Amino acid sequence: MQKVLKKKELNNFIKELMSNYEIIAPVKNGKFEIIKDPSNMELGKITIVPAKEFFLPEGETLIEFKGKKVIKTHPENKKRIIFGMRKCDLNAVKIMDSIIKDENYLSRRKNTILMGIFCEHPDEYCFCNSMELEDYYDLLFYPEDDKYYISVGSEKGKKLVAKLPEAKKEIIRIIKNFKRVPDKSIEKHYRNKIWESDANRCLSCAACTINCPTCTCFEIYDELSPDLKNGTRKRGAASCQLKSFSTVAGGKAFRNSRLARFKQFVYHKIVYYKKRNGRYMCVGCGRCLRACPPKIDWTDTINILTGMKNHDAKRNRVSAKKV
Amino acid sequence: MMQKETGYLPKRYNIKSVKEMTSDVKLLRVSSKINPLPGQFIEVSIPGIGECPLASCSFNKDYVDILLRNAGNTTSEIFKLKAGDKIYIRGPYGKGFPLETCGKDILLAAGGTGIAPVTSFIEYIEKNRKKFGKITIYFGFRNKDYILLKDKILMWKKKFNIRLTLDQKSPGYLNGFINQLIEKDHPNVENSVAFICGPEIMMKAITKSLNSLGMKNNKIFWSMERRMECGFGNCGRCTIQDVYVCENGPVFRYDFIKPRIENEEHANEVKE
Ligand SMILES: Cc1cc2nc3c(=O)[nH]c(=O)nc-3n(C[C@H](O)[C@H](O)[C@H](O)COP(=O)(O)OP(=O)(O)OC[C@H]3O[C@@H](n4cnc5c(N)ncnc54)[C@H](O)[C@@H]3O)c2cc1C
Ligand code: SF4
Ligand code: SF4
Ligand code: FES
Repeated sequence: MQKVLKKKELNNFIKELMSNYEIIAPVKNGKFEIIKDPSNMELGKITIVPAKEFFLPEGETLIEFKGKKVIKTHPENKKRIIFGMRKCDLNAVKIMDSIIKDENYLSRRKNTILMGIFCEHPDEYCFCNSMELEDYYDLLFYPEDDKYYISVGSEKGKKLVAKLPEAKKEIIRIIKNFKRVPDKSIEKHYRNKIWESDANRCLSCAACTINCPTCTCFEIYDELSPDLKNGTRKRGAASCQLKSFSTVAGGKAFRNSRLARFKQFVYHKIVYYKKRNGRYMCVGCGRCLRACPPKIDWTDTINILTGMKNHDAKRNRVSAKKV
Repeated sequence: MMQKETGYLPKRYNIKSVKEMTSDVKLLRVSSKINPLPGQFIEVSIPGIGECPLASCSFNKDYVDILLRNAGNTTSEIFKLKAGDKIYIRGPYGKGFPLETCGKDILLAAGGTGIAPVTSFIEYIEKNRKKFGKITIYFGFRNKDYILLKDKILMWKKKFNIRLTLDQKSPGYLNGFINQLIEKDHPNVENSVAFICGPEIMMKAITKSLNSLGMKNNKIFWSMERRMECGFGNCGRCTIQDVYVCENGPVFRYDFIKPRIENEEHANEVKE
């Protein structure tokens, strides 16, 4: 049974949660932030930057060195709620859960409640409906007229809305997408030359992987204190679009060409991860496409490869029109 | 079944001895009871400097041998350590040589520091000699000064059929690449399984020679190397298409890994 909350009560509801939780939500500059004032939330648009930094903070300390001793650092265990993630971002958390297994991540994850919101305004880059997404949330808010109808996905979520009244009807809505990627069977097309036309335009800038909510690859590096006695071992993001990603001592890069790197991105999302985990690693949020300076659209390439009818494909192209 | 290690906290161990092998390779013996399985690797580090994956070069419950090439930032610092110094290790990680190949004749081939994982397997075989058939071991080094683990090789000569060859001509030694020697020797490979470790170019050439003797790719195993950070399937750095070298390998049956390597190589060959 869903719960209901009047839209004009939302800010108060969030404010109340603040006494027990840190609240993270989308704000005006296109990213998620810890908010102090709910009126700063911007729920109407998908963020440019995903919320992954709250699970994998850049440069986080994994272990510390004190003289000859190594010490495990204990990650913050603040209780927090991330509000305003859409279906794509919620699914991205599920994918991160399947990849990252260290204590820091697990502890942050355990202390985070996912309070998602139904996506009313997908844009021309969104293709989440093509990615077989699941329901993955503690709470999910469906806006309808002047109310939110709230679906409960877990015990943790249930507690948060215990005081809210039950809904008299159930509101479940389906996200409308303009863009579609119906057939993703590209494994056999790995060597198809069409990928070269994408890769030739690629700048190896890594904007796609930085902004992708499911790109979690990283590097580990040490830092030494100025007195050389203490230090830390840290983790930072790495991008498969850079040569250094696969480079070993002596300088050999196993993915030396932009083509190899570009295909690594697409095939990891669509083929490799699926082989291992039974689902796509891409959640169709479109962030990689929005962020790409030369506007490479690999979903378009997939559609061409899998024989989407020409006139459908044209309609499907990002440049064509808005939803 | 070993529990899957997913933490980054290394343990501190004592370096028992350090032996210089060549100008840029040393053998470090570390007192440790972690006893990696043959073919597994460990993450070795110096706090504040860095970490790197290194093969276990022994099969012993009281120590781990590391055959270290001075190759970059971290390895050059480890290279400076002496007996009595401390070193930090986490692991072991990865799937080593398939021990279910017991009962077969074994052909081993190693080039350069590729001798490290192969040594862990040889020591396993020494301790379990009855479980294996005929053992033939090929070693290849650049020249006489680059021969690694000479003492061990001399000792193994008494027990196994050892075939050592040098790239450069040198009196008293066979000359040529391992693949050439294998083709010349023409060993009977009917009941054999082969394990190879070395540069990929070398592994490819050896595989081709073994194929020409009638050995199928599903009887040939490669021990592979890729850029690594975590060692246990989290950082994504070591993949070859859908496969994680750290977790699914580093030892792979060649028929399994071949199409993946070839696809990525094909993508690398494009003109830019
Ligand atoms: C499974 C496995 C087993 C190995 N066994 C041995 C061995 O027994 N003896 C030996 O001398 N070398 C071995 N290597 C190679 C060794 O890991 C590299 O020489 C070493 O990581 C170089 O680190 P560096 O910091 O000195 O070099 P840098 O060039 O400064 O490297 C920086 C970081 O990149 C990564 N990296 C660099 N080169 C490699 C590489 N070749 N493979 C994986 N990661 C790399 C490491 O995380 C390293 O800390 C092995 C590699 C792998 C993958
Ligand atoms: S690959 Fe692109 S569309 Fe898919 S999840 Fe990543 S950023 Fe979103
Ligand atoms: S954002 Fe575009 S140009 Fe930049 S690396 Fe990704 S695909 Fe290439
Ligand atoms: S080394 Fe990190 S995934 Fe293999």
